[in-house]
Amino acid sequence: MATKKEEKQFEKERKAAIKAREKRMKEEGLEKFLTPDQIKYNRRQKAMGAVWPVFRFLILFGLCFVILYPLIFMLSTAFRPNEQMNDPSIIWIPKNFTMSNIKDTWKVMKFDKTLINTIILNLVSSVLQVITCSITGYGFARFKFKGKNLLFAIVVLMIIVPPQITTIPLYMQYAYFKPQFLAKIFTLGKSTSLINSGWTMYLPALFANGIRAGLFIFIFRQFFRGLPKELEDAAYLDGCSPLYTYVKIMIPNARQSFLTVFLFSIVWYWNDYYVSSSFFTNNDTVALMLKNLNTTLAKTLFNNQSVSVRQIIVWLEAGCLLSITPILVMYVFLQRYFVEGIEKSGLAN
Amino acid sequence: MSKDNKAVQTSEKQKRHVLSYEKRKGLYGYGFIGLWALGTIYFFIAPLIMSLIYSFNETSVEVGGMKMKWIGMKNYVNAFRKDQDYTLALVDMLKNTALRTPLIIIFSIFIALVLNQKFKGRTFARAVFFLPVIIATGPVMDIINGNMSTGGYSGGSEQFSTMFEANLVDQLLNFLGIYNISDKLSNIINSLTTDIFNLVWNSGIQILLILAALQGISPASKEAAQMEGATSWEFFWKITLPTISPMILASVVYTVVDSFVDPGNKVMTIVLNKSTNWQHGYSAAMAWAYFAIIGVCLGIIVAILNKVIYYEVE
Repeated sequence: MATKKEEKQFEKERKAAIKAREKRMKEEGLEKFLTPDQIKYNRRQKAMGAVWPVFRFLILFGLCFVILYPLIFMLSTAFRPNEQMNDPSIIWIPKNFTMSNIKDTWKVMKFDKTLINTIILNLVSSVLQVITCSITGYGFARFKFKGKNLLFAIVVLMIIVPPQITTIPLYMQYAYFKPQFLAKIFTLGKSTSLINSGWTMYLPALFANGIRAGLFIFIFRQFFRGLPKELEDAAYLDGCSPLYTYVKIMIPNARQSFLTVFLFSIVWYWNDYYVSSSFFTNNDTVALMLKNLNTTLAKTLFNNQSVSVRQIIVWLEAGCLLSITPILVMYVFLQRYFVEGIEKSGLAN
Repeated sequence: MSKDNKAVQTSEKQKRHVLSYEKRKGLYGYGFIGLWALGTIYFFIAPLIMSLIYSFNETSVEVGGMKMKWIGMKNYVNAFRKDQDYTLALVDMLKNTALRTPLIIIFSIFIALVLNQKFKGRTFARAVFFLPVIIATGPVMDIINGNMSTGGYSGGSEQFSTMFEANLVDQLLNFLGIYNISDKLSNIINSLTTDIFNLVWNSGIQILLILAALQGISPASKEAAQMEGATSWEFFWKITLPTISPMILASVVYTVVDSFVDPGNKVMTIVLNKSTNWQHGYSAAMAWAYFAIIGVCLGIIVAILNKVIYYEVE
């Protein structure tokens, strides 16, 4: 195997050789070597090669701007004093920067407490979800049993059915959780209702039914189907049980897709406000805080007066900035796993 | 004779052994999916059936649970006959999805093709294009989009959007001296250009999926095509598109489901409003009717696309 450096060298030499050949051919007259069609084809390829990169740069630059625009606006606004919001002479960079928006919003959102709360909720649910979904996905990928197709149809149904349909019955199930002694154990004897406790998130995740679990089971199934069967057959011949084989052979091979699903799971739990707003009545997570930020801002900063969005935009944007920063930091460091993970997770097949 | 018998016996024995092994493996299969199956009965199937039952009842919330009165199909009839908002929103929604899905798919294919090429700054460009994946599903998107109601504390619902609303095409046309194109056409063009923001922000996952599929095309086939004198255009239609077609189907399904399920869309807003007003039965009926329509749409789309899709024979 050639190393990367050597490969680059080869590539360079190859290109140089092609160039030299073209030059020689030109000197001796192209018609001698190529048909007119080939000459036309080459010329067209060359023209495309010259124009396309410029065109591509323009398109990508424009679209990147469209995507980054709200983030730039966020940065510009979050540190801008509120009075300067209506100053027409300021477009991007305010005359002086202030941290007071961030500080106010931090206080209003009770950000330290909320953040810790959210992170615990997210991590526990995501870890549980990844483990149970992978086990289920493996079961669907490698075993033959009666009713498999029917059961898998349910997985597909889980992807399609919007959570809005099942939330209210689920609420009733949690609010009057049976058996009651279990609910008492979960809430440390405080009540028989699970509403407002983390168990409304942990329990579904524990049983591979958390947020977008159907999609994750699907991804894992596709991935495990793509792995060669010989891996397990060897383990079975050595007398390993399927569970042991799964833990010892399959998990190490599936590391990449575990990471990808874990990241997506974190992101979706972080962003979810619909499901959590149904089960948490006091805004306990960052997403819920942000969803209701305008109301809380009006309450705390404006004494319940009516305010328009324009008046509180600096605090809103500061809130946005606060709430996406943790996930953005994670994204910056793990960005390549999002892409490579999906590529290798067998979804491509 | 006895020898033959013995052979038959052993082969039978082997057969039984194989069977039992298969059976045992099947049992292990149940073991692997058991946890999920249990959970699904409690967390998915039961609520699903429950909400179907709600939809045929008039519900009221009381201490200790939900009180129900059977009224048959009345909720469904009411939703379509009496509630004008609902049918209007539904039609609007369907139109919107029908218009936007092809746009998103074509856009994603194009961007995925570009991002699959080698150039400087590719990593950065990819990082930027997948950024919507991590942000677009959250409440941040509402603030960015400006479609946030100002809550119960304000008088008017002023829209303050931080996204583009510049009407570029209109200005261009005015500049060229064209003023009176038919309203419909200019409306369509307008909605497309103001929609570029939504388009870009909603196609993160689709780009990711199609890019993943593009990685599966071997460079050798590209070289071979070039040897034969195929242009990039021909290569795209003859090789690339068939290869990534299964993934395009996945993207289409994802796009449709995503746009239907989005809590921000009009139908969902109506459904959720009804349910916060304690009209759970009515809201469930609306949700189920909506869901049935999604199901039929998806079924039609998948059936049509399945005819065109090229599956590699393994």
